[in-house]
Amino acid sequence: MSTPAQTIDRPRTSPKKAGRISQPGVNPLVSMLKYAFILVILLISVGPFLWVFLSSFKSNLEILNSALALPARLKFSNYVMAFKIAPLAQFYGNSILIAVTGTLLNLTVLGMSGYVIARFEFKGKKTIMSLVSMALLIPGAALLLPLYLTVRNVGLYDNILGLILIYAGFGLPVSLYILSSYFLTIPKELEESAYLDGAGFLRTFLTIILPIAKPGFGTAGVLQFLLCWNEFQFALTLTTGLKNRTLPVALFYFKSQFASDYGAMFAATILVVIPSIIVYVLLQEQVVSGLAAGAVKG
Amino acid sequence: MALNTTKNIKWVIAFLVPTILLFLFMYAFSLIILFGSSFTDWTLGMKVSFTGLRNYLELFTDNEDFLKSVFNTVVWIGLQATVHVTIGVTVALILARREFYWKFVRTVYMIPNIISSAALGMMFLCFLNPDFGALNSIIRLAGQKDFSQNWLMDYKTSFFTVTMMWLPFAAVVTILVLAELAAIPESIFESARVDGATELGINLHISLPMLRNIIGTCAILAGTSMLQKLDMILMTTGGGPGNRTMNLPIFIYQNALKDNNFGLANAAGVTLILIGIVTVWIISRAFRMGHSNT
Repeated sequence: MSTPAQTIDRPRTSPKKAGRISQPGVNPLVSMLKYAFILVILLISVGPFLWVFLSSFKSNLEILNSALALPARLKFSNYVMAFKIAPLAQFYGNSILIAVTGTLLNLTVLGMSGYVIARFEFKGKKTIMSLVSMALLIPGAALLLPLYLTVRNVGLYDNILGLILIYAGFGLPVSLYILSSYFLTIPKELEESAYLDGAGFLRTFLTIILPIAKPGFGTAGVLQFLLCWNEFQFALTLTTGLKNRTLPVALFYFKSQFASDYGAMFAATILVVIPSIIVYVLLQEQVVSGLAAGAVKG
Repeated sequence: MALNTTKNIKWVIAFLVPTILLFLFMYAFSLIILFGSSFTDWTLGMKVSFTGLRNYLELFTDNEDFLKSVFNTVVWIGLQATVHVTIGVTVALILARREFYWKFVRTVYMIPNIISSAALGMMFLCFLNPDFGALNSIIRLAGQKDFSQNWLMDYKTSFFTVTMMWLPFAAVVTILVLAELAAIPESIFESARVDGATELGINLHISLPMLRNIIGTCAILAGTSMLQKLDMILMTTGGGPGNRTMNLPIFIYQNALKDNNFGLANAAGVTLILIGIVTVWIISRAFRMGHSNT
């Protein structure tokens, strides 16, 4: 509990305790503080977003004259304008392509190694796992320049492939943890009987294991997708020019262009944010369980 | 019976290789470049020469922006590992009662955490705008008619304002603590209630001690997240005014990609990693993590 609630509550509860009332702990003052606190949390979480959302339907004049008023009428001209000012359609395409392939690549690579790590004993397994945990400790910003140099040298600078590869690598530790711990929950007997029936390694993996492990892939996939969709610093440093930019970077580069047209700026911001919110609201349970699984291991 | 490794050795190797390659590409090469070049004088277009510790000496004795960046980064780590975690745990303890609103609050609270932080920075940039921003308008509406404050670019308020862009948004902490609370057997709380304990007493004396490990984990996650804050600062203040809101990622970004001073930037990168390791060490010590609850 927060400290203010605690100091206010203390003197009141001690005499009450002696009375042994049947519903302990329902102190009206504490309840009020509690609801006020939750209300503040809700307001700050959604307030700026709602304000930007409403403002995205206003004209520039409305925005400047009455920042808090509701839009006079619902018009989408700001959204049309946003697409005109910046090549948002192109950026949308790039973002979708990068997020989808980045996620698929990440899940394929780590699904394979996650399975082998969960199921087989081999030399170097411990080393792999401790190296991967170490990778969790390295902040992306420290890798900014080294990765920029590596990517330049292999010819993937300003190339969507480069970003896909980097994002797949960024999600490596978390996806590996989530997937390998999911594989561990699948009973071994399933595979053993498949082997007895004469199925080989690959067939067992593809036809027996993968279908059962779908929820694990779902969890890792949602987190990886959000990572790719939202990533900013590598999208900023590893691309140049308009062709290969993603949405978050577009906001940065067009900040000055948008500055003369506030309505379009609001609209562009909403366009970047909406897909993340939709993915989250639809797949909330996966996000929640993914975060829990990732953190416990980390 | 473990699955037979020797029989499937080819497959085992084949399934590991892509991950190993990805790891080498992303992390191993990068770390070698990072550490190696931090001891060199390396500017774009110039010859690389070994200079020993000179980059580090320059950073720590002579570079005000760097020292300010380290200071801010450390302060933000401290705040995030304490205040931020406290807020998240408080919300979790309230939501754990599963009153009618709990799922709604959990979902809404998460929104600032799942959207692109560049977009979040953009939102705050608009929300805090001195002319048309909502915050100043609200204050004007509340009575202070001529109120005008440039929250982000005023020397007096910039650090506080930037801090508030992430300090209260602790939904990840809330989710992790809620998951852990759900695993505590209900009977423990029941018997405490029968003994006449208040909800507050239960939270303080039963829940919190049992949550020690997960709160430690949250403090590490929250603290180390401050080692990567680049996008929100770049979108809002760019480290300014002056170097008021500069942190190490911004410093590295500016030195590496604007000034092309690779050696110096990488020495700062090594410092960033070291700060991370020290943070993790201190927090896991403070929470006696890994020890079971007794």
